[in-house]
Amino acid sequence: MKRSENKNKIRERKSILSFITIPVMVVVTLVCIIPFLYIIAMSFSSPAAIINNRVSLWPVNFNFDAYRSVFSYPNFFRAYGYTLIFTIGGTLISLAMMVLFAYPLSKEQLKGRKFIMKMVVFSMFFSGGLIPNYLLVSNLHLTGSIWAILLPFSINQFCLIILINFFKSIPAEIEEAAIIDGLGYFGILTRIVLPLSGPALATVGLYTAVFFWNSWFYPLIYLNSSQYPVMLLLRNIVNGSTLAVETGGSGAQFALSISVKSAVIIVSSLPLIVLYPFLQKYFVKGMTVGAVKE
Amino acid sequence: MKRLFLFVLLICLCLRTFTAIFAEGDAPIRITTYYSDNPTLPFRDDWRALTYIREKYNVDLVIEPIPLADYSTKVTNMLVTQGDDAPDFVLGAGINGANASLALNGAFYAVSDHPEWTPNFNARVAEYGIESQVEMGKLSDGKLYSLPAMYDTPAYDGGLILRQDYLEKKGFDAPQTFDDLYEILRAYKEDYPESYPLTTIIDIGYIERMTMPSWGLSLGLYNSTSTNVLSWDYENTMYYAGAVSDQYKNYITFLHKLYEEGLLDPEMTQDDASTTRKLASGISMATYGFYDQINGWENASEIEGFDLNLYPPLTGPAGAHHMPRSSTFDGIVFPVKTTQRADFEQVVRKVDEIFFSEEAILIWALGIEGETYTMDGDKIIFSDDILNAPEGAYKYMQTAYGCGTPIERVFINALDMAKYDENYAEINAKVSAMDHAIQYTVSAPSFDDLTAEDASLMQAALLDAYTVWNDAFIRGTKDIEDDWDEYVKDMQDKGIDEFLALYNKYNKYQ
Amino acid sequence: MQKSKGYRSSFRKYMGRYWQLYAMMLVPFCFLLVFKYGPMLGNILAFRRFKPLTGPYGVSWAEPPLRYFKQFLGQKQFWTAFRNTLIISIENLAVNFPIPVIFAILLNEVRSVHVRRFIQTVSYMPRFISTVVVISILSELLSPSTGLLNRLLSTVFGIPRIYYLNEPVYFRLLYILTDMWQFTGWTAIVYLAAITAISTELFEAARIDGASRFQQIIYITIPSIMPTIMTMLILSVGNLLVLGYEKVLLMQTPTNMAVSDIIDTYVYRLSLGATSPQYSLAAAIGLFNGLIGLILVSGANFLAKKITGSSIY
Repeated sequence: MKRSENKNKIRERKSILSFITIPVMVVVTLVCIIPFLYIIAMSFSSPAAIINNRVSLWPVNFNFDAYRSVFSYPNFFRAYGYTLIFTIGGTLISLAMMVLFAYPLSKEQLKGRKFIMKMVVFSMFFSGGLIPNYLLVSNLHLTGSIWAILLPFSINQFCLIILINFFKSIPAEIEEAAIIDGLGYFGILTRIVLPLSGPALATVGLYTAVFFWNSWFYPLIYLNSSQYPVMLLLRNIVNGSTLAVETGGSGAQFALSISVKSAVIIVSSLPLIVLYPFLQKYFVKGMTVGAVKE
Repeated sequence: MKRLFLFVLLICLCLRTFTAIFAEGDAPIRITTYYSDNPTLPFRDDWRALTYIREKYNVDLVIEPIPLADYSTKVTNMLVTQGDDAPDFVLGAGINGANASLALNGAFYAVSDHPEWTPNFNARVAEYGIESQVEMGKLSDGKLYSLPAMYDTPAYDGGLILRQDYLEKKGFDAPQTFDDLYEILRAYKEDYPESYPLTTIIDIGYIERMTMPSWGLSLGLYNSTSTNVLSWDYENTMYYAGAVSDQYKNYITFLHKLYEEGLLDPEMTQDDASTTRKLASGISMATYGFYDQINGWENASEIEGFDLNLYPPLTGPAGAHHMPRSSTFDGIVFPVKTTQRADFEQVVRKVDEIFFSEEAILIWALGIEGETYTMDGDKIIFSDDILNAPEGAYKYMQTAYGCGTPIERVFINALDMAKYDENYAEINAKVSAMDHAIQYTVSAPSFDDLTAEDASLMQAALLDAYTVWNDAFIRGTKDIEDDWDEYVKDMQDKGIDEFLALYNKYNKYQ
Repeated sequence: MQKSKGYRSSFRKYMGRYWQLYAMMLVPFCFLLVFKYGPMLGNILAFRRFKPLTGPYGVSWAEPPLRYFKQFLGQKQFWTAFRNTLIISIENLAVNFPIPVIFAILLNEVRSVHVRRFIQTVSYMPRFISTVVVISILSELLSPSTGLLNRLLSTVFGIPRIYYLNEPVYFRLLYILTDMWQFTGWTAIVYLAAITAISTELFEAARIDGASRFQQIIYITIPSIMPTIMTMLILSVGNLLVLGYEKVLLMQTPTNMAVSDIIDTYVYRLSLGATSPQYSLAAAIGLFNGLIGLILVSGANFLAKKITGSSIY
């Protein structure tokens, strides 16, 4: 028993595939992680050390000044709070909407399905521009309210189509059995389909969460400055300081140090990077559920 | 039960009347606006200058900080739609381009309709003698739509910045002409063959906008006529086709020479960190930039004796000129929606008072007498914390008190100079003494809608072509002598002649 | 009479069976109508003259009605931008479409769950570095005077310093490489999810039949995730004209303009970046883009259905 396992392992190790897989994975890991380590190192280093090329992957003159100045931006934490509201609320509403939409649309036999699918695809290409969108939100009296962000973007056609695709792959026999058992479609959706859709929901949920996390344009236009998400503030720090502005008496050109910009990148991406490993267990879970169901 | 109800009602009515009377007497007038929030100078609602203005003028001035990077997007959308969330007025909106067309379509209140509502503004205009410049801001309907911000004297806040320590070490005098500059750059290149002595901030357009006026030109994205390819003939007060002129040919020959000899940094677009790195490490020794930036560059350098300084404009074929600057610039506009307020007149009067009255100007510039400064006869003496601030008085007063921020609308040169070091004041005095070193900017003609559409389309095509050719000439991928005719023909095909004719036809100065 | 009764009863039977599905999508469908189709009326601006403060639909018909289409269709620059957009997009699609699929499949071959999770997370991180920063790191790396690459190549190999970001020949390569860096791990998530949904018994059966790992990929993994691949492909083809202006604008220099100017940057210069925004012109170009996108997506969908049997509608 043990011997045969060993044999198996040896065979796997020798497979041509691992000659490709291992180097590719090593390269990908390095290429992705080195710039990040560099940014982290810069965020803890003194600006002079960065400018004079003394920082590589380890901080020089280690300090927290950059983070201190990012956190001391007026209303930084309030903005972070709004970002969390938009991300969590937006993702939940969005997932609910898209699941309710995608499930019926995954049923080939449903009349009108094709037409609605065409409507969905059509709407991807003709958006209408900013002013009509603003006036719509304004006429619905949503401007200045967080619903202006949570509602209009709840259906993302791209994610919807991915979700439909996943639902289609669920074997029809399972549902047919449930219908014979007297379960309605609402019941099938919540008791059978959703538990089987862990990977799909995790994927679409992640894409949606990142969309809301990163969105800055519509909050800028629809909301009051007291409701702005942190991304607008951080964007201003990264982009705003590269713009040349002429203000009154002086150029008022004070460049922000690279360490502050680096700290901004870390602060703005860390929560979502940390979120991903947690979601990954749903990817595995999807597989085990799939295996168990037989 | 009924009685009780009536009684309660009565009390409520009484209370309402009371509060109404109370409100009329004392409640501050609420006025809202946007602020372009610079990340290097984040807005604080408790800036002393701001809270003091609120108290002193009994105004509930609500300022929404909008990120600078997206300020114009927010303002443009607001002006085009003017929804419920539009502010009462906007700071720093120019009435040109898109806003001119907005204005002519009635998007703004015309401030010239009631000059009697803005007595302080009128007084400042008269005091600084800038009536003609304000007059130029009027649109084709003869109306003024903004209360422009103003300088009594435009400051020389940036220009040629180079290593003074190198000049002293090599025994060079301060450069007077572009030939002097060339000699200095060449000497540096000889000493450090790996270097690119002249580098740029942001992009080459910054060097061009600050040097072209000495050739009688102003072209490209940041030009002073907002035509991109035309320049202004100050003698005859009319436009000429600067992009295809001999002046430009001379100018571009000079830049090409710098590039060819390795004196000009080939990286003609770069971010601030890159510029800083080059100057601080000695890869470059000169740039065209702003006085405010010098400190940051000096702090970044680890070179012994590293010392940058700002120099007055150099003399070229058309004299010594810096980029043109007007005494008036982007000002205060009132979206037309605000005129629906019952107390609109009070709003305008209050805005006029808190930005243009003599006391208010002092507060926005210097803070509060007795708190941030005291007067010793004519001399301003700042409080100790300001005098001892390591980042300098100007910057410290901005961040700590909100003085000298983009809220300020009237800039008095003497007050600004008092906040800077003596060196800056000296350079400015030198530049003021020169013969029109800083010329006026040209106020764009206002077209009707359809003409504006055509002009804008032509302009976009011309600017694109000019930008590509300009770059090719500098880098030598196109030869200035051999390919010049082809270039001129290309510009003519894209309509530079019609474009010029259009601008001269609507020229306000004729 | 009889017929309609029969029809009605079959309709009743149909609704009796499926009403829950229709009820389910009622709210999302209304959202689609309100938030996606509502603003779409704004496209009419492409044929109308816009005046501020008079609503989003313009004040009068343009004269001639196709005025704004003529404005850009007659411009040489537009067609240069159109061609550049297509070339960059197609090259980008050819490289960056298969790579996440391959990456996902290879990643699935990594046996250790912990290592796999680690690589997965690491590969997803670049997505969170904003494009501005990506390009600034790139220009720092490639700078002719201070950049690491040039210093290395010139001191070690004596290769003359090259200003890569400015050279037209390198523009597309750099565009595609940075896209690869930013989005490979991110896009691979969809495929990873699809792979985990494959029933494990399929693999077991294959193993019993003596299929090698490589054969399992070819005969099980790829066919199983084919619908996902096709869906992603169809959507990507539909978006060929949409590159976004931000990244290209950051990489654009006058020298590389001839290859780097794309429709989005062209529109940006005409509307957002211009002295006076041309709303009608931007709407017209948007409509033109949308139309081409729709044609592309329908074509891709049709072909996908013909060839692989899977399609998005």
